[in-house]
Amino acid sequence: MELFLQLIITGVMLGSIFALVALGWVLIYKCSGVLNLAMGELTLIGGYVCLGLYQRFVTFMPETSAFLVALFGTMIVGLMLGLLTERIFLRKMIGEPILAVIMVTVGLSFFFKGMVFIVWDTDTQVFLPRVFSIDPIEIAGIAIGQVYLWSFIAALILMVIFVCFFKYTRWGLSMQACADDEMAALSLGVSAKFVYALAWAIAFMAAGVGGTLLGNINGLNYSVSMLGLLVLPVVVFGGLNSVPGAIVGGITIGVLQNLTGGYLDYYFPGGIKEIAPFVFMVVFLLFKPYGLWGWERIERV
Amino acid sequence: MSYLPCGTYFEAYQADQKWWRTGFIKGKMILMVILLILFPYMVDQQWLSVAYTINYYILAALGVQLLIGYCGQITLGHAAFVAVGGYCSAMMVLFVPWPQFIVDAGLAYPISIICAGFAAGLWSVLFGLPSARVKGFYLIMTTMAAQWITVPLVITQYVSQIGGRGQSFSLPPGTIKIGPWEIDSDVKIYYFSVILVGICLVVMGNLLRSKLGRAWIAIRDNDIAAETMGVNIVGYKLLAFFTAGFFAGIAGAFYISALFFVSPEHYEWFYSLLWVGIILIGGVGSIQGIVFGSAFVVLIFKVLELSVLGASDILMTSYPELGWITTKLIFFKESAFGLAIIFFLIYEPNGLAYRYWQLKNYFNLWPFSYTGK
Repeated sequence: MELFLQLIITGVMLGSIFALVALGWVLIYKCSGVLNLAMGELTLIGGYVCLGLYQRFVTFMPETSAFLVALFGTMIVGLMLGLLTERIFLRKMIGEPILAVIMVTVGLSFFFKGMVFIVWDTDTQVFLPRVFSIDPIEIAGIAIGQVYLWSFIAALILMVIFVCFFKYTRWGLSMQACADDEMAALSLGVSAKFVYALAWAIAFMAAGVGGTLLGNINGLNYSVSMLGLLVLPVVVFGGLNSVPGAIVGGITIGVLQNLTGGYLDYYFPGGIKEIAPFVFMVVFLLFKPYGLWGWERIERV
Repeated sequence: MSYLPCGTYFEAYQADQKWWRTGFIKGKMILMVILLILFPYMVDQQWLSVAYTINYYILAALGVQLLIGYCGQITLGHAAFVAVGGYCSAMMVLFVPWPQFIVDAGLAYPISIICAGFAAGLWSVLFGLPSARVKGFYLIMTTMAAQWITVPLVITQYVSQIGGRGQSFSLPPGTIKIGPWEIDSDVKIYYFSVILVGICLVVMGNLLRSKLGRAWIAIRDNDIAAETMGVNIVGYKLLAFFTAGFFAGIAGAFYISALFFVSPEHYEWFYSLLWVGIILIGGVGSIQGIVFGSAFVVLIFKVLELSVLGASDILMTSYPELGWITTKLIFFKESAFGLAIIFFLIYEPNGLAYRYWQLKNYFNLWPFSYTGK
């Protein structure tokens, strides 16, 4: 029982990171209809940028503030990279068939992967000195790693910020308008190009923070980008164009992954933890083809 | 299909639907066959391996083209089915207790190719089942799931443990032979691949001219309209998945003859993406496009490899202290390939087959082209 609760709670916390990355993904899809398969590499880039900044800052600052400043710096770099990526690669693809746009994001993922390896090498790197202490915190008899707890809090704060941005600011409203009905938004004076750029920038920021948090848990190497790819089952589970779906899906997939890792790894020779979300997703799609809250498309001839 | 020269008329439907309709096209094809036969005598060994790699990619991308280009079902997990084919064929050759007369006649490998096709086809249908209900991105996800479930889980964890040989099966020399013809040199692999590609392209072309192909194209263009016209879309979609898987299985079974071993690393997700990239580069919905796309991708890899090797050689000899750069040059190759795909899609969205079509048209219509350019 204790193990079960522990797995669930850790899963929720891990899932909140997935939810954060998935949120960025859903934003891109909602605003511009682009399916972004480069998300794993985006998390990787974010993690490495933060690591680099942290190692620079930690020489003259206490660890906590160095990490916070580095996180902030990662978001700024992510913002700039996102704007740049959209400007150079994605803007020319507006109006092209969907498959071509997907393949452009695949090309982007090859490009980013190579670049990451060129700049930061392939070895596992860890945040040293440790940002979060290794001792677990005990809450009601259940031990929780501090990394998980703080990641959960950070992801939660960022998610609240993003949702508020969406609901209450002018830019957020224009993004919502664009997602809802692009033609109407355009005719009311919303700049679609600006909205697309904003969506990519936010996705880069979210993925960067997600990558940083994931990298803090297990160290940074290429496997972080595999964790970044887990946003795809997450968004499919929640429904492609639903922000609450991304959050619920993220937490569900996180819990599912932890539970399979805890209980089924004993019976399977290994790797079941990484595959379980995909198996779950295929079975789920057979029963609910549009996820939990995805828009059902009504088609006519 | 290009325009015919002025003055060529057909009086029968059969003549109009023929593969090679004019003498010029027949001559061109005969010339191509002669070139393909003479090719091993014109180049050295490394370009021969490039040639059969191109052929392998053509075989693998055939199924992707069928699904994406002709049936409109986007797939990002094709390497899984190629893997099923490769493993099925290798395991049949290694572990099935063949009767002595079959071994003597050299039929074990040919039989295993067919069985690999069926196994991969059925495996593909299993993952095509969701296509009855979902489409677009949700279908992409289920085919991606096919990749993740098949290669890292089933094949790496279970199948490759059979026989206790570790991760990869190696095939002893002499096991891969077709009849009396033992495939043991690059030239033989090359000829075998050319024959297989020829057969598969003809089969694919003929499938597309039949009722099946027309149904697939109707589903691609508008599946709901096709359903109202009486096309059983679920059945035809599953048939498309089966056929694509069948071609993938043949591709996998072929490639073990080239490598003499199978290992999960040859079927990573990268290859699924690469084959989709191939048909986009070559041109979606065109059989020639597969050939052009495969040739382009393999050649660009080869050129990048040669230039990276050359660059690192120069660096090592003239600046030995810069040796760390040479390890990075390998990743440069991957980055450059990603950029190549992106810029190809941005600046040449219709693919190479469209350029070829334009070129042919230009010569057909010359000097009276009416394009106004």
